Amino acid sequence: MTVVLFISVALIAACGLIYELVAGTLASYLLGDSVFQFSTVIGSYLFAMGVGSYFSRFITRGLVARFVSIELLVGLVGGFSSAALFLAFAYTQGFRLVLYAIVIAIGIFVGLEIPLLMRILKNRLEFRELVAHVLTFDYLGALGASLLFPILLVPKLGMVRSALLFGIINAGVALWSTYLFRDQLGARGILRISCAAVLVMLGAGMAGAERITQAADANLYADEVIFARDTRYQRIVLTKWKDDVRLFLSSHLQFSSRDEYRYHEALVHPGLAALPGARRVLVLGGGDGLAVREILKYPDVQSITLVDLDPEMTGLFSTHPYLATLNAHSLINARVHVINADAFSWLDQNTDSFDFVVVDFPDPTNYSLGKLYTTAFYRLLGRHLSMQGLAVVQSTSPLFARQSYWCIVETLKQAGLKTYPYHVYVPSFGEWGFVLAGLNPYEPPLRLPAGLRYLAAAEVPPLFQFPNDMLPVDAEPNRLNDQVLVRYYERDWREIAH
Amino acid sequence: MTSTRRQFLSAALIGLARKTDRPVAGGFVDDGHQMGHKLRDRAPFAPAKQAIRIPLVIVGGGIAGLSAAWRFDKRGFRDFVLLEMQERAGGNARWGENEVSPYPWAAHYVPVPGKKAALVRELFEDLGVLRAGVWDERHLCFSPQERLYLHGRWQEGIEPLTEATAQDREEFRRFAARAHEFRATGQFTIPMEMGATPSPLDNLSMDDWLQQERFNSPSLHWYINYACRDDYGALAHDTSAWAGIHYFASREPEEKGPLTWPEGNGWITRRLLEKLGSYVRTGCMVHRITREGRKLRVSAGDIDYIADCVIFAAPSFLASHVCEDAPPARLVYSPWLTANLALDRLPAEHGFETAWDNVIYDSPALGYVVATHQSLRTHIDRTVWTFYWSLAEGSPSENRALLLAKDWNYWKEAILTDLERAHPDIRQCVSRIDILRLGHAMARPVPGFLGSEQRRRLTESSGNLLFANSDLSGFSIFEEAQYRGVKAAERALERL
Repeated sequence: MTVVLFISVALIAACGLIYELVAGTLASYLLGDSVFQFSTVIGSYLFAMGVGSYFSRFITRGLVARFVSIELLVGLVGGFSSAALFLAFAYTQGFRLVLYAIVIAIGIFVGLEIPLLMRILKNRLEFRELVAHVLTFDYLGALGASLLFPILLVPKLGMVRSALLFGIINAGVALWSTYLFRDQLGARGILRISCAAVLVMLGAGMAGAERITQAADANLYADEVIFARDTRYQRIVLTKWKDDVRLFLSSHLQFSSRDEYRYHEALVHPGLAALPGARRVLVLGGGDGLAVREILKYPDVQSITLVDLDPEMTGLFSTHPYLATLNAHSLINARVHVINADAFSWLDQNTDSFDFVVVDFPDPTNYSLGKLYTTAFYRLLGRHLSMQGLAVVQSTSPLFARQSYWCIVETLKQAGLKTYPYHVYVPSFGEWGFVLAGLNPYEPPLRLPAGLRYLAAAEVPPLFQFPNDMLPVDAEPNRLNDQVLVRYYERDWREIAH
Repeated sequence: MTSTRRQFLSAALIGLARKTDRPVAGGFVDDGHQMGHKLRDRAPFAPAKQAIRIPLVIVGGGIAGLSAAWRFDKRGFRDFVLLEMQERAGGNARWGENEVSPYPWAAHYVPVPGKKAALVRELFEDLGVLRAGVWDERHLCFSPQERLYLHGRWQEGIEPLTEATAQDREEFRRFAARAHEFRATGQFTIPMEMGATPSPLDNLSMDDWLQQERFNSPSLHWYINYACRDDYGALAHDTSAWAGIHYFASREPEEKGPLTWPEGNGWITRRLLEKLGSYVRTGCMVHRITREGRKLRVSAGDIDYIADCVIFAAPSFLASHVCEDAPPARLVYSPWLTANLALDRLPAEHGFETAWDNVIYDSPALGYVVATHQSLRTHIDRTVWTFYWSLAEGSPSENRALLLAKDWNYWKEAILTDLERAHPDIRQCVSRIDILRLGHAMARPVPGFLGSEQRRRLTESSGNLLFANSDLSGFSIFEEAQYRGVKAAERALERL
């Protein structure tokens, strides 16, 4: 009997510590500055525990019933603390308010627990033994929790589920107590029903935990959101921090206004400047008009066709004052024709040929997008190139996703194109890769258009040199019926994430 | 008092219940059984108004009949007609179309043929699918090909290996090794006639064989049953072990496949009809074939064709209803149901991405195939699913009766309830369900089929009435239908 009692003490202590760790970790993760976050979370938590302990003296009757109710409250607030914090961060301005409210509430409840429990047990044990045992198990529970949290809980269950799991343990202890102390308890029925209700709520939370994290993750932007819209195809979000505007499509970063010029100059000029006769240019993807802005620096280019899936995207970048300034009003230029269509099927039905094609699609994160990186797509692309024509392909990072990058190169080769891989450093992205591909040999340009912020003609040939950690690795070509690229990509980025 | 209280409570509960389901349109399509039953019951037909003399008539416009026509046309023989009972040719390779996509009504793929399947390769060369030994990627099934709903989420591939035990995995490996050994014997070929010899395996059921070989894994048993239900419309218990092994041992794909199209094998039908449409008369049910001296009189509607030779490419059991000297029908056929579901939004789901073939573990049905899977588009928000259900459990004749006895609403509910396991909100996504009932969808290779007298008499039939349906091979697959059709055409050409 007594052993069972002390195990409850250890469990309660573990729960209390887990909530504190969850709050501290989430605050550090979401707000940064972990020393500050952990100090303030631990400080306010311990202080709140003191407040709880003080208030325990005002509870005089129905000790067991109060104890059970407090356990349930701790279980509920603590169990959902992590989910509530994620959602508060994603959807509200008041993350800190929610954080400290939760920490203080849990602290007060946890502060009440041990004094109440000691008073419940006081007739069963001698005072000397009682204090020794309760505190021993209290600290043992804390040790267990502090080891479990980083080793097992966070990696295996994640933050949302860990908190919910310990909420369930709290509620379990509450239910258990209604049996342990049944002789000291009057209305057991109602308490047990409440326990069951809390357990069901927490269990449901466990089942829906993934959805909660997804809902929160999709909205985790570090900066102030200045524009957000769900279109038929994607979620468009613009964030702003000082002079840095960032575009996210379905929570993938597309550009940062601080360094996008590096990306777009490197995307366009090594290829297009090498084609003095280029008249007709095609851009696939790139609805932000930033690649088009670079192409418009060539007065000899007569027509630019931009094919992007989402009319709301091209509309936004044609009309939004800030964004239209960023792309230098490229999308409303008379030489530019905007077409909203699915690129692969559009190209399949189109018979025109182009001197230069910019292929700027989202990374191959799934099998639908992966179709745009297949031998079938590149063969079709090759058929739309004029004799001297070139295509440039955005090809993810040769450093972070090395095999994916070289898989794209191999796929272009298998489609019968000559390939010229190169890379550039974009601070907000890291090392980024492109591939020039064409039917004929390529020579880097001797001159570039005037007024570029990043690229100079002499800087072009070095882009084609790869240091040791980005050198080619073996990769199968990506084909419609065997999309190895999606698997490579998933594995490459998973390795980076760990 | 009690009743008002109950009313109050139920009203409150209805308020809590989930959104009411949207109405679903649809019905049965293309019912062939009425026409078939007229033949079976020897219903009277009006006498012919016209007689046409023609060297050759093909009865049946499925793949067997169309393949015979393909061979004739390539050999420069053009004096023939092909008579098809339905309003559209294709048989099991029929297709339909709505505003979103074309879709199959039955057969929906052809495994990538190995080097030995010369006729299938020849056809695909003609259709531009195989060029200089290279398969056109666009006709190969796109990634991801298959997934299985198991333990509450979708996994990649249909071998049920999520949470498999070491023993399950060992048995899957051992089974693959056995299939490999059988392949090496050279007996399990496509077409089957090239390698098949009398075999003791034909006296066992696939189930018996698994037991004999000490395969006990429930996952493996499910998988093999799935294969038998999918290809033969039968449980492993009702399938000849020879046929069950043939499924796994006959194919040596040289490329990741299979070959497939939005309208399934309807694409092949379509392309063949572009070339051969002028020979085809649809809506022409042959109700009588009689001998007149050395010729055959083929009565179809109000025309009698007087032919030197007839290729009977329709299911062979029909021959005994229309033709005096046809062998009696003792082959076993599996009943099937297929349904096309129009989805105007995609359901929520959990786990691996939508594949071409999507199977639910432990479902009585076979899952669904996505018609828009072969689309080049990256964004798809409306689609068509073809739902397959071979009624394998129980006896074929009882299942045929059930198929006709139950109304559309019954089958609609059965289909949605099955899909709901993997897609809880499916009822909010489906706007239309059309259902095709196929009482005799395919020949079933029951134990003993390989050595059966009936099958031998059909394959060896000589004279001027030649049989050509895939049921001569004992099972209904594209390659066998094509082989039988071409072979009958070649024998007919020898005679003429």
